[in-house]
Amino acid sequence: MNAALELERIEYAYRRNTALRGVSLQLKPGEVVAVTGASGCGKSTLLHCAAGILTPDAGAVQVDGQDLAALPEEQRAALRRTKVGIVLQFGQLVPDLPLVDNVALPLLLGGHERGEAHKAAMNWLDQVGIADDADAVPGELSGGQTQRAAVARALVTGPSVVLADEPTGSLDSRAGQELLDVLLEAARYRGAALLMVTHDNLVAASANREIRLRDGLIQHEVSL
Amino acid sequence: MATAELVLGLLSAGPAHGYDVKRGHDAWFPDSRPLAFGQVYTTLGRLERDGLVEVIDKTSGGGPDRTIYALTSKGRDHLSDWLNDPVPPAWGSADEVLRKLVAAIRTGGDAAGFLARQRASHLRRIRELRETPADDDPTSPLVREYVVAHLDADLRWLDSALDRISEQRGTR
Repeated sequence: MNAALELERIEYAYRRNTALRGVSLQLKPGEVVAVTGASGCGKSTLLHCAAGILTPDAGAVQVDGQDLAALPEEQRAALRRTKVGIVLQFGQLVPDLPLVDNVALPLLLGGHERGEAHKAAMNWLDQVGIADDADAVPGELSGGQTQRAAVARALVTGPSVVLADEPTGSLDSRAGQELLDVLLEAARYRGAALLMVTHDNLVAASANREIRLRDGLIQHEVSL
Repeated sequence: MATAELVLGLLSAGPAHGYDVKRGHDAWFPDSRPLAFGQVYTTLGRLERDGLVEVIDKTSGGGPDRTIYALTSKGRDHLSDWLNDPVPPAWGSADEVLRKLVAAIRTGGDAAGFLARQRASHLRRIRELRETPADDDPTSPLVREYVVAHLDADLRWLDSALDRISEQRGTR
């Protein structure tokens, strides 16, 4: 079985600051992995490389067995849009769009018909427990609700991989736990591999495996 | 409290008599209660009975005790196993973790490996507690949250200990 996500000896530097020094990891379909480590250890850079937001200086990123760097730009963008879902710390929803449009956006950008995209968006808003807020814009909602919408948006295309960067970082303890349950359940429902970057031990505790980074290298990797 | 294993750790540097063991322990843990002489000799006697230490010299006479104890290979294996095993996570378990960590560093053991295993053990326990189904007892969630909060505090300390050990290794 192909890995859902495979990073091979990833290196990345911001000008003269080396953030990643050859990090390799694999996620199987359905696996939940937490990447932890102190601020500046390279964990967010790793996630951004996996997401295709950053292009590694060296090494390879494969999603569903396809090497991102080997694809023409258009196919690479399509693969990222359909196979990779991303949840960031502050949701990053479009402020003026109702939730249903925010969640439908990845499908609309992929050329799906509007009615079909809205139907899929409503299904996912229901799945994450905020279908009643579908017409609200992000500013009218709590941090927990907007993060739930971000989870729905990440899952709506049926991705193989969900990448979450401090998904509970903007929430208080209880809302964070609820959001984590929603994220885990959504990834499990879809059968997607979930890679979470987190400094929160309670988030890390929900993973099958913890990979701890230090100074751009894997410090240790343990099964949980 | 794992006094027996700490005594084995103190003897791992070489044979010593009870007084040395007591002084060594109090130097390793200057902020904890000093080890009582009675406890040292009781522990050494038990370790000798179990074949984990042996008497290699005994000076007779009316002066202070001069019985010299040494670690046996069985005792060395027991110490190594103890240092490798994470402490079962519960509230109050951090004291035991600290004892093992200090013993691992002092005896040249794999302190970073121990911390990584302990971290995993704590994370697994938190997940178990989170996945425990709710029951009718109104105090259950309070107790569970209390334990999780303490395990989370332990984990933050384990993180900083891991980073500190890595820094020390990097600067050597």
